[in-house]
Amino acid sequence: MESMSERSGGFSFDNVARNHVLEEKGMKMPKAAKTGTTIVGVVYKDGVVLGADTRATSETTVFEKYCEKIHYIAPNIYCCGAGTAADTEHTTAMIASKLELHRLDTGRQSRVTTCLTMLKRHLFQYQGHVSAALVLGGVDLHGPHLYTVYPHGSTDALPFVTMGSGSLAAMAVFESKYKDDMTLEEGKQIVYEAISAGIYNDMGSGGNVNLCVITKDKTEMLKGYAKENMRPWRKSTPYTFPKTEVLTSKIDKPRTDISVVVESEKMEVSAS
Amino acid sequence: MDVMEAGGMDWMQNEHMLGTSIMAVVYDGGVVLGADSRTTTGSYIANRVSDKISPITEKIFCCRSGSAADTQAISDYVRYYISMHSLEIGEEPKVATVGKMFRLICYRNKANLLAGIICAGYDKHDGGQVYNITLGGSILKQPFAISGSGSSYIYGFCDSNFKEGMGRDEAEQFVIRALALAMSRDGSSGGVIRTVTINESGVDRKYYSGKDIPGFYEGW
Amino acid sequence: MSGDGCVAIASDTRLGQQYQTIAMDVPRMFKMHDRLFLGLTGLYTDTQTLYNLFKFKLSMYKMREGREISPETFANLVSSTLYEKRFGPYFTEPIVVGLDKDNKPYLCGMDLLGALACEPDFVTLGTSTEMLLGACETFYRENMNEDQLFEVVSQTLMMATDRDCLSGWGGVVHIISKEGITTKTIKTRQD
Repeated sequence: MESMSERSGGFSFDNVARNHVLEEKGMKMPKAAKTGTTIVGVVYKDGVVLGADTRATSETTVFEKYCEKIHYIAPNIYCCGAGTAADTEHTTAMIASKLELHRLDTGRQSRVTTCLTMLKRHLFQYQGHVSAALVLGGVDLHGPHLYTVYPHGSTDALPFVTMGSGSLAAMAVFESKYKDDMTLEEGKQIVYEAISAGIYNDMGSGGNVNLCVITKDKTEMLKGYAKENMRPWRKSTPYTFPKTEVLTSKIDKPRTDISVVVESEKMEVSAS
Repeated sequence: MDVMEAGGMDWMQNEHMLGTSIMAVVYDGGVVLGADSRTTTGSYIANRVSDKISPITEKIFCCRSGSAADTQAISDYVRYYISMHSLEIGEEPKVATVGKMFRLICYRNKANLLAGIICAGYDKHDGGQVYNITLGGSILKQPFAISGSGSSYIYGFCDSNFKEGMGRDEAEQFVIRALALAMSRDGSSGGVIRTVTINESGVDRKYYSGKDIPGFYEGW
Repeated sequence: MSGDGCVAIASDTRLGQQYQTIAMDVPRMFKMHDRLFLGLTGLYTDTQTLYNLFKFKLSMYKMREGREISPETFANLVSSTLYEKRFGPYFTEPIVVGLDKDNKPYLCGMDLLGALACEPDFVTLGTSTEMLLGACETFYRENMNEDQLFEVVSQTLMMATDRDCLSGWGGVVHIISKEGITTKTIKTRQD
C-alpha cells in the first residue's frame, strides 16, 4: 500500500490514468491557481531589488488578494515566481532546501549560479510541464546577479528583467527609465513603478507592491511597500440576522489531563 | 491559462526561441563567429541583448539557434564532457571532437530537441575550423556556416562574397555585413551583432549596435 | 472563518453526481485532532482516500513526535502530499483550519495541486466558492466571539448555497476554541 511505504521523493503518476478516464467521462477538473503576475528585478549600485504584485487567480476569480510571490531561496538569494502557483512555491522550496543542505555541507554562502543551474535542470527535465517562470536575484562573492528562468529551462542574465502576464507593462517602464548604477532609492522607485504598471494595466496582476532588497551584507523584505489597493470600506456595524435555526448542537471538550484514558467528555446541549 | 488564454498571451506559455541569424567563417589563421541578439517567445522579444555565442573551451565556441532551453542544456553538457575529456588527454581538445560531441547529443535525442548549432574554434592540429550541426543531427565541416531562421535570406550574399584565405578584418566585415542583411529581412532576428574572433593568439569579443551595423539600400 | 480565539469551518451536507443527489448527510470536514480540522471538497473518493491517508500520516507523526501536529505544519503536509501528484492530481481542494499553540486561529486554503493560500480572515472553496467569497467579504468582522462567528458563518453558508444547485440540503458548522469543539447542524432549504 502506497501510504505505508516511505516514498523517496519525486512525482507520483498513480492517478494519471484514472484522471484521464474521469475527464473523458465529463468530470470537470478543478482549476489550478495561477499567479497571472507582474514580477520584476533590477540590479542597482550595491545589489539587487526584486518586486512583485500580490494577486493569485483561479480562472478570473482572485484566489488570494495579498499573496507572497517573492520566495526565499537562501539568506542572500530570493526568487519571484509567476505561472502555476503550486509549481513556483514547491520548486523554489525544493531548491531552497537543497541549498540549505549544501551550505551545511560546505559551510559556505550559497552562490546564485548554483541555484540557477539547479532550477534550470529541474525545469528542463520536465520539459515545460512544471510551469514556473522565475526572476532570480541575489548577491554572492561575485557580486549582484539577476536572472530570468523560463518554464522550459532557458535562462537569461540581464540588468533589468520582468516576468508574468504584466511583464510588458513593467518592461515599458524599465526600457524608458532604467540607467546604470542607480542608487537604492532610484532602484526601489523604478521597481515600484514597474510593478504598479503591471497592477494597473494587467488584469492578472493586482493588490500591493512587495519589494525585496538584497545587498552584500543584508536582505530586506519590504512587504506592502505600496498599499494602494487595500479594501477601502467596510460597514462599521455588524449585520444582524434572524437567529440561525440550529437542529443539533454538541460540544467536544478537549482532554485536559493526559492520564484520563476514557473518551473525551461529551455534553448534550439542547437545540435553540 | 484562463486569464492568460483570454488575453491571448501565448508568449507566456510558449517556448523560448532563438529565431536567429548565426554564422561562422574560417579565415587565414582562425575563425570568426557571429550572431544577432534577439530571443523571442511568440511575438514578444524576451531578451534583446542575448548572447548566443557560448564558450565550450578557451578557444572553441558555439553559436546556438532553435529552442533556448534545449541549446543551453546541450552546450552545458558538452562543456562538462569536454572539460573532462581535456583533463584525460592533458591538452586542449580538438574542434572536431567538440563538433562530434554536439552531433552525438543532437542525433541521439533528435526527437526531443530543437537545436541548430554551429561549433567553431581553433586547435593547434588543424587550425581554425567550422562545423555545422543541423537539426537532424548531422555534422558538416564547412569553410563558412550559416544557420537559424535569418540564414535563408543570406545564402546568395555569402556564396557570392565568401573567399578562401581572407584576412581577419575582411572576415569580420563579411560576417557583420551578412548578419546585418539577415537581421534586416528576418523579423525574428535583430538587436545587436556579436562577434567572437578566435586564432592562435587568443579570443576577441566585439559587439556592434545602432549606427555601427552597416546599412544597405533603404530607399523604397 | 476566524474569530477572536476561535475559528469556524462549515460545509453543506449534499453528496451528488452532477444533478443527482445521492446522500444528504455527508459533511466534508474531518476532525484531525482537538484543535485541527481538515475540509476536503471535490471528488468524494479522493476526499475519503485523502482523509484516510492523513489520518495515517498524523498517527505516524504523533507516534514519532509525541505531540499533536500544528496547523501550519499540517497545511504544509497536505500541500506537499498534493504536489507529489502534480501530474495526476487528486480532484480535491482542501481547507485546513485550527488553533495554534497560542490559541490563534490558523486557516489555509489550497488548490488541487497544493498551492497554499493562507488568509487571516476567511477562505472558501468548492462549487460555490465565488458566492461564498462575496458573502464572506460582506459579513466578516474582525474579532468576533464564538456566537457571532457562528451566526456569520452559518448565514454566509446558507446564502451562498441558496444560489448553488450543487450544494445545500443541510449544513454543519464546527467552532474550534480552546474550550472545545462546538458542532451545530443547521436547517437550510431542502431543495
